[in-house]
Amino acid sequence: MPPGAAHAQPQPEAGPRLAQFYFYLTEGCNCACRHCWLAPKFDPEATRYPTLPVAAFERVIAEALPLGLGRVKLTGGEPLMHPDIGDLLAVVRREDLALTVETNGLRLTEALADAIAGCRQPFVSVSLDGAEAGYHDKVRGVPGAFDLAVAGVRHLVEAGLKPQLILSVMRDNVGQVEPVVRLAEQLGAGSVKFNLIQPTERGVALHEQGDSLTVPELIDLGRWVEGDLAGSTELALHFDYPRAFRSLARLATRGGQGSCGILGILGVLASGQYALCGIGESVPELLFGQVGQVPLAEVWYQHPVLLALRDGLPGKLGGICAECLQKSDCLGSCIAQNYYRAKDLFAPYWFCEEADQLGLFPASRRVPVAAKG
Amino acid sequence: MMAYPLADPLVVLREEFDDWAVLFHPDTGAAVGLNPVGVAIWQRLDGRHTVPGIVTELTETFDGVPGSAVEEVHAFVADLIERGFVGSAQSQPG
Ligand code: SF4
Repeated sequence: MPPGAAHAQPQPEAGPRLAQFYFYLTEGCNCACRHCWLAPKFDPEATRYPTLPVAAFERVIAEALPLGLGRVKLTGGEPLMHPDIGDLLAVVRREDLALTVETNGLRLTEALADAIAGCRQPFVSVSLDGAEAGYHDKVRGVPGAFDLAVAGVRHLVEAGLKPQLILSVMRDNVGQVEPVVRLAEQLGAGSVKFNLIQPTERGVALHEQGDSLTVPELIDLGRWVEGDLAGSTELALHFDYPRAFRSLARLATRGGQGSCGILGILGVLASGQYALCGIGESVPELLFGQVGQVPLAEVWYQHPVLLALRDGLPGKLGGICAECLQKSDCLGSCIAQNYYRAKDLFAPYWFCEEADQLGLFPASRRVPVAAKG
Repeated sequence: MMAYPLADPLVVLREEFDDWAVLFHPDTGAAVGLNPVGVAIWQRLDGRHTVPGIVTELTETFDGVPGSAVEEVHAFVADLIERGFVGSAQSQPG
């Protein structure tokens, strides 16, 4: 390949492309985060709950490559506590797949950072819920988590990567937004992402107790992050509220972020079940069969849920999403989240729905009244 | 011959807090974001301005309008015509 030439993307012989696979490698996790939207069981040594066998991982990849697979995301639970994580990374490298890793960083050793850096287009995000141990460890429920995560970020930077730090914004750590950006600058990270607390699993209690921020608070915070704070740093900042709230300037420069990628993605859980994504842990209707027992091509091309999504997105989105000018790019922000709440694949996203009820949905992003019907 | 581009009168322009704006076409449902310079151009697609005339006015409003502005505005208007937001440029001022 000549220098600078793009890696050829594999194309499926027919039908939609399965561009990316999300591997939820472990059912347990070595953190017990207050806000986790998946709520894995606390399992610091990864000995008590299932982890995806290497053979199943290889089989999924072998079946997904002809469907167009170009990238894998390793997540969890906590992917780096998988007992065979080195072997899994070797498979990713051997197949020349692009790699994303979402980790809490507690087990991110120098050797693992190097192995990740050896894969194609590696992108790693590390959770950091404060710029001091007191904040981060409290959110994570694990003393010492902050020091380990920071050490992990340093290993990634030494391996030549530009990791992303992710802060999940809640009432307790909202004052840490700017300090985390400054810490990211010091550490040599490439970007910082600010996640909303999703009202799913453990996040439900945070919402009910008022420990997550309200929609008006999040809108104000997002505007400040995208405006003032982004103007004060070289780092890319990404505030993860829906596209209707992003400034057009941000959308013009970072258009692809903040959409539901569900039309090109499939997940597999640690139990070896195909799933829409990690939400399958909590919503059995979004499980699509067992690896090895049902051919992946059959799932991808024929499963009724996937067919319904391809047929219905974005046109069948309901509520405020139906009236939103961003719906073709956004696709309702997170289908799994929407389904979890309403048991409807085409339900609107909670944030926009709540903003609309409060009269805070941006009028300029809504189909003009005269054009409806 | 000079051409005088004319915006489709059905298209709705909605300005936002930071001077960017959304163009919305009610017939096609198409929407597109415009930066502040794009908004200024859009407001002059009234069938009475030529592209060089628009550029002259832009240089009075915005700093640093580049020498290639006429080509860039031509391309911008051509894109809006292609997307159905602007009717084909008319040869006489409207
Ligand atoms: S209303 Fe729906 S489609 Fe529009 S930005 Fe919000 S979640 Fe996305």
